[in-house]
Amino acid sequence: MTRFAKLGTEVTRCETFIGITRQQAEDHGDKVLYTFLPEAAGEPPERVTYHEIDRAARAIASGLVDRGAGGANVLLLYPSGRQFVEAFLGCLYAGATAVPAPLPTARRHHVEPFLGIVRSADVAAVLTLAGALPMVAGLLSQAGVAAPCLSTDTDPVGDPDAWRMPVIGPDALAFLQYTSGSTSAPKGVMVSHLNLIENERLIAKRFAAHPGTVSGGWLPFYHDMGLIGQILTPIVTGGSAVVMSPVAFLKRPYRWLKLISDYGVQVSGGPNFGYEMCAQRVTDEQVAQLDLSQWRLAYNGAEPVRAETMRSFAARFAPAGFRPRAWFPCYGLAEATLMVTGGTSRLEPVVLPVSAAQLEQRTIAAPENADDERLLVSSGAPSAHEVLVVDPERRLPLPVGSVGEIWVRGSSVARGYWREAAATARTFGATTATGSGGFLRTGDLGAVIDGELVVTGRLKEVMIIAGRNIYPQDIELEAQGAHPALADRISAAFSVEADGERVVIVQEVRPELFKEASPASVAAALRRHLTQRLELRVGSVVLVAPGAIPRTTSGKIQRTLSRQIFLDGDLPALHEESEAAVADRRRITAAAS
Amino acid sequence: MPQLAQSSATTEIAEWLADRVADYLCLDPADVTPTVPLAEYGLDSVLAGALCGDIEDRFAILVDPTLAFDYPTVELIAEFLAAETAQGAGRVARRGAR
Repeated sequence: MTRFAKLGTEVTRCETFIGITRQQAEDHGDKVLYTFLPEAAGEPPERVTYHEIDRAARAIASGLVDRGAGGANVLLLYPSGRQFVEAFLGCLYAGATAVPAPLPTARRHHVEPFLGIVRSADVAAVLTLAGALPMVAGLLSQAGVAAPCLSTDTDPVGDPDAWRMPVIGPDALAFLQYTSGSTSAPKGVMVSHLNLIENERLIAKRFAAHPGTVSGGWLPFYHDMGLIGQILTPIVTGGSAVVMSPVAFLKRPYRWLKLISDYGVQVSGGPNFGYEMCAQRVTDEQVAQLDLSQWRLAYNGAEPVRAETMRSFAARFAPAGFRPRAWFPCYGLAEATLMVTGGTSRLEPVVLPVSAAQLEQRTIAAPENADDERLLVSSGAPSAHEVLVVDPERRLPLPVGSVGEIWVRGSSVARGYWREAAATARTFGATTATGSGGFLRTGDLGAVIDGELVVTGRLKEVMIIAGRNIYPQDIELEAQGAHPALADRISAAFSVEADGERVVIVQEVRPELFKEASPASVAAALRRHLTQRLELRVGSVVLVAPGAIPRTTSGKIQRTLSRQIFLDGDLPALHEESEAAVADRRRITAAAS
Repeated sequence: MPQLAQSSATTEIAEWLADRVADYLCLDPADVTPTVPLAEYGLDSVLAGALCGDIEDRFAILVDPTLAFDYPTVELIAEFLAAETAQGAGRVARRGAR
């Protein structure tokens, strides 16, 4: 029997996440659930007990119900801290559907994604901090949205003792996750209480978590891994978590490792780039101050897991007691609530050297030479889900060892996209050619090798950069605003694997433009505009003549083909500026083709 | 906008900043021109956060990661930091006048 079986039977019998939280508050009352580290070092941490979080949730829930928002969609706009968690649980306690989103600033490139979510989510109320209230109210009225805005950090929102358990079942929605979809067309994944509970059971089991487990990290709370993996899992297991702000992590990655060291954290993780930042920026003096020997589970997911990063991190922090056996590469997506697979049954995760060129053709084969080598990391064996690898065009399940689209079926697969019937039917209700239905099409490519799932790439065109889903359409739209001459020109955005995933933009321009402006200045303007508008680093800017970007007969841009032509060195560039790593990758691919 | 004289403090800070940016982006420091927007070199929010961390450690002030967007070049950041440190430590950076 696993440790999970030792969770109180009362908890495992709860039908909603409200029931679980209430039960844990009863069992663990004055135990500290969360420790929030302040952004400024040297200030005292904020500790919150199970009882305190339950009480705050009841107060907010009462306030929501009083204002008629019980059972409705409630937008949450908070930095990643205590108030967010109270508001999130407050929504659940009101039988409402929480819609977490990053707190926007007044900058235009934050406002547009925010407005996209607000329009999609049919928001009945907004919860935020008092300091942000005027700005948020202004943005909402700008969008023509008449939902009331409440702050939860100053005046009491409602009476905690007036709270009553809402009458909802396990299929009621707990929250909408807006990490899918482009900025212009965001899609909210509908996660029910049952989905959440089932996925938490899987996570708790794979983490071997129990009330004594100390977890924590730096992940943003509006992101699925931060919310579900980092914040909600301790509630389910009766454990505790020590968390810091994602902004503080970006400034000083050492502070994450110091948190783990100081608090004896056993379970913590994040996207691959977080580990990369630590390996590159933490100094020898800082390593000498760390004790990471208690860190028994280092999860790595939400973006492609890189063996090179794992090796350099493990080597860098071995003197601090970091154990490579802690590595827990995992795979998941918001459409499956969070986790699909994670960890390994072997002592250390399996790293598979394969031919990069063959992988482009969806084939697993040994590398031809050192330049052709790409290292794949296995993400663990499927357990709670049924996982198929399917030929995406013919929908035929493929044999073990073949690369195809990953399809998933199970009770933690979410219910669909909010108010997007067509996209929901395409993504969530897929049927194989052999008649098996009800599958989630992940859009990710992978293979099952030696019983473990190895993720190899993506079928869809979305790029994952520093843990963010970046849609080519968003980049291409922004490109049109970079220079007046680009306003009616097309571009193709895609990514290439070059020491991490890098963005390439191929932009059509009329060559006559270069009579007025130098090619270098146009390329620079394009790169600058994209970085400023999307906070995105561009690996390569290529200017081409009109017609150079391949299109279908209906005029649709063929990004995958553009990418292939670029990598083969066959794109007729008028001007190009590429980072060294991208140029190297192209040179190697072109030589091999 | 008032013309700010290029003081030796500003120059020294600018050189240090160019060195940091070059380090993050794997460039030669000589290739980081102080008047070219950092966005052209590829400074995104991850790298902006890293730059802020280094600035905070060296100058003992608090800066917001929007710093690199409010002061988009090495020269502008250097001028801002020279002014901030001349006026004393411990102030949180505010959005500057353009």
